[in-house]
Amino acid sequence: MNDYIKICDIEKYYGNGSQITKAIDRLTFSVDKGEFMGIMGASGSGKTTLLNLLATIDRVSAGHIFYGETDITALSEDALSEFRKNNLGFVFQEYNLLDTLTIEENISLALTLLGRTRAEVQETAEKLLNLLDIREIKDRFPYQVSGGQKQRCACARALANDPKLLLADEPTGALDSLSSQTLLETFTSLNQTLGTTILMVTHDAFSASYCSRILFLRDGKIFHELFRGEKSRQLFLQEILDVLASAGGKTIH
Amino acid sequence: MLFKLAIRNMKRCARDYLVYLITITLISALLYAFNSLLFQNDLKKYWDTEDMMEMMVFLATILIMFITAWLISYMVRFMMAKRSKEFGTYLLLGMKKSAVSILYLLENILLGVIALFFGILLGTLLQQVLMAILFSLLNMTYRLHLYFHPGTFLMTAFCFSICYLLSLSRCRKKFRKMNIHDLMEAERKNEEIAEKHEPAKKLLLPLSILFLLFFWLIFGSLQSSGGVALFLIGLVLTIYLFYTGLSAYIICYIRKGGKFIYRGQNLFLMRQFSSKIRTMQFTLGTLTVLLTLALMGSSIALMFSTWQNTLLHHKFPFDILLYSPDPADTFEEEIEFLKNRVTPLDIIPYHIYTDGDNQVNTWMLTHLSAWGTMYQTPDGRPDMTEIEYFLENNNVYCPFDTYMGLSDYNRLRGMLGYEKITLESTEYAVQIKPRLEQEVQAIGDDLKICGISSAPSSSGEGARTEPLLLSLSGIYADPFSQDGHNGCDYLIIVPDETLSRMQPYHSELAIDIDGTAPPNLRNELNALRSENAGYTSPDDFFAQSFRGHGSDIMMNTSSVNEVKDNLLPALSYMMASLMIPLFYIGLVFLCVAVTVLSVQQLSDSASYRFRYDVLSKLGLKESELRGLIFKQLTAYYLCPALFSIIISGKLMLFAGNRFVTATGVPVSSGFFFLKSAVLFFGVYLIYFAVTYVSFQRNIRGRT
Repeated sequence: MNDYIKICDIEKYYGNGSQITKAIDRLTFSVDKGEFMGIMGASGSGKTTLLNLLATIDRVSAGHIFYGETDITALSEDALSEFRKNNLGFVFQEYNLLDTLTIEENISLALTLLGRTRAEVQETAEKLLNLLDIREIKDRFPYQVSGGQKQRCACARALANDPKLLLADEPTGALDSLSSQTLLETFTSLNQTLGTTILMVTHDAFSASYCSRILFLRDGKIFHELFRGEKSRQLFLQEILDVLASAGGKTIH
Repeated sequence: MLFKLAIRNMKRCARDYLVYLITITLISALLYAFNSLLFQNDLKKYWDTEDMMEMMVFLATILIMFITAWLISYMVRFMMAKRSKEFGTYLLLGMKKSAVSILYLLENILLGVIALFFGILLGTLLQQVLMAILFSLLNMTYRLHLYFHPGTFLMTAFCFSICYLLSLSRCRKKFRKMNIHDLMEAERKNEEIAEKHEPAKKLLLPLSILFLLFFWLIFGSLQSSGGVALFLIGLVLTIYLFYTGLSAYIICYIRKGGKFIYRGQNLFLMRQFSSKIRTMQFTLGTLTVLLTLALMGSSIALMFSTWQNTLLHHKFPFDILLYSPDPADTFEEEIEFLKNRVTPLDIIPYHIYTDGDNQVNTWMLTHLSAWGTMYQTPDGRPDMTEIEYFLENNNVYCPFDTYMGLSDYNRLRGMLGYEKITLESTEYAVQIKPRLEQEVQAIGDDLKICGISSAPSSSGEGARTEPLLLSLSGIYADPFSQDGHNGCDYLIIVPDETLSRMQPYHSELAIDIDGTAPPNLRNELNALRSENAGYTSPDDFFAQSFRGHGSDIMMNTSSVNEVKDNLLPALSYMMASLMIPLFYIGLVFLCVAVTVLSVQQLSDSASYRFRYDVLSKLGLKESELRGLIFKQLTAYYLCPALFSIIISGKLMLFAGNRFVTATGVPVSSGFFFLKSAVLFFGVYLIYFAVTYVSFQRNIRGRT
């Protein structure tokens, strides 16, 4: 169970010469299988950079990231694409759905890219549409459905490859409170019933309260860590708010 | 401030729409170069056919102005739609509608001025190239001399301004009607994909394909002009409805979950393609029409050019050849006149004879492919009523068969440098146009040409000579001026003694000269001879003179007074005045069409960048993305190109076939179309490559 994903002493710099900005500064932690981890931090704290590194869409300046036995920092561009296709799922604030495809086709495309057969694609898409409760809108285009529905579609697409890790970058950022709640409950349910490992970047304490563990970042380093354990969500939320308040409040957005 | 902003926006526009800027620069360069033919035509002084060149160039210019105005107006509307949010922001910031509208006009006018400036620079060079081509077509040497002509410049600037005025006036109206909300929302509207009644629309695809099949099968056999017109209307409708049908078909296929979409990136590709042709169906239809016209224009131009390169010089083998309908004409005055104007090396006056029969004419009308079965009865025999009517009323063949004596024939062959022929007293030969040589191989089986026999008659009534049937000795197909002078299409060559049973039909005078004839010799001869014959104008004289012009109906060059050195360049110039404007129109249409295709793809790069970014996150490799972009652009570029090839292909194969049959150019009927399709794809490929590279660059900049 342990050390499902291992982040070992990673660093990420931007710029060169005297203009170097350290976005991630010698970060080490691990993500357990089936964990629902949250990353919180102020703007510029490095949380999105960390997510991009884990998502293989950016490369570390130093250090290693292991998914099981695979060190993704040693993989070529093509191997990374292949790795991404087979092991990762993405949910972004702006949904990132393809506007020329219907809701169902957005999910099917991810499956066909994996080389699944027609029957498999249809069966899995059907299952995911039901799981995310978007079956009724499957023939609509993204512009014809609500933000919450779009995000659930993005979720379904992210789950299409049965990912080792589901990465979510501010998934509730563009949603109203009811849609946010529905989405977070979906995440919790995916995490608990399917055992999906989730890593979510958020600045919203309410969203973070659904996680089982939260890492707080500042200047590219972990400055605090919270475990939910057996605590109720309300209590956990309060703890998060306390951390944010003790960190100065103003620095956390 | 407004001007500064306009300049900055214009710079951005020029970068984003570089293909468009290059195309309008190219069009203004072409306009300048061709307008120069109206104002600074160095060839004007040589021939009396210059009006034709000017008229054709003028017509082409008008057509091109229309199409350029369409391109500009399309681009102006297109850029406006793409930048609507920006305009909305200007309005939000408190700019007046009129100021925004002036800003946009200013940007476009600046863009136009830049295109015009570079266009005229390029046009000055192009004009020299054009003149050099024209001179080389006429076998004359041209010395390059760059110069600027204010008339050409003003005309080009005027044409260009008209195009801009036409397109920009519409855009002002549009601005007046828009409000901030509309402008802010306009961009979102672009992204909406309307899918309604797809199963019904889908039927348009098989219907279009059926119509195209039908078109291929029966177009050649359409007889009435009404039928052709109806067919063309159907064709235009098909062109426009095809894209609706194609898009609906793909949508239905995807909805049905067809097998093909579950392979690789096909689903993405098909959706991308169908939504693009759905939003652009009308434009794609127009582009198909433009591409079809471009292909047709260049194919027809190639027909003329091939004819000119291969056959024109065969038309005038003799230096000077004069015709007289009067068998007693000895051409004394003409010979006297010509001796003063040129140095004759050889002068041969001779006669064309007839036996008053029309068996050879009948054979021609019933055996040549040009006539098909028009002059045959249903059982395949000659329809004499039709044939006699035709010979009397059409100046194709002389009413009676035409003959020449062997000695005259050999003298003329000697003049042309051909080998002399020999005939036994029991033989005859056929002199035919080169293009008909293969078609008359069996003529000897049917003709019954009578000779003179000295054998006593079978009835035993003394030594009276009696006709005897001659046999065919050979068929000669050297160029021999057979458009009315030495027969129409054919001459039967018989031993001299056989002529004693025939009558002279008309007189001819052939002259071989030293050096070249003076430029105006033919005009002088025309004037002299029409006056002598009692006609007030040379036109009347010509109209009354010839009995027939031969079956080269499409490219007939018959002339009572043939002066090779005058006619060859004059006809070349006339051909050039057809060919060059046709190429000109073809090239501009093609460039306009591909520009619209390119701009459509490149301007959407922001949304494409996003889509490819998503695909990359979904795990698509860089090479797969490159392949996908290539496939997407290829499908998008090929669709209107293939469609226009299917349509123009049929029309041009049909026209090419007719052209080859009628003129005898030594190429196959598909040659013109194939060659123009290759040229077409050359230009197409250049635009495709530029678009592909720019597209890749835009996508590579993805976040």
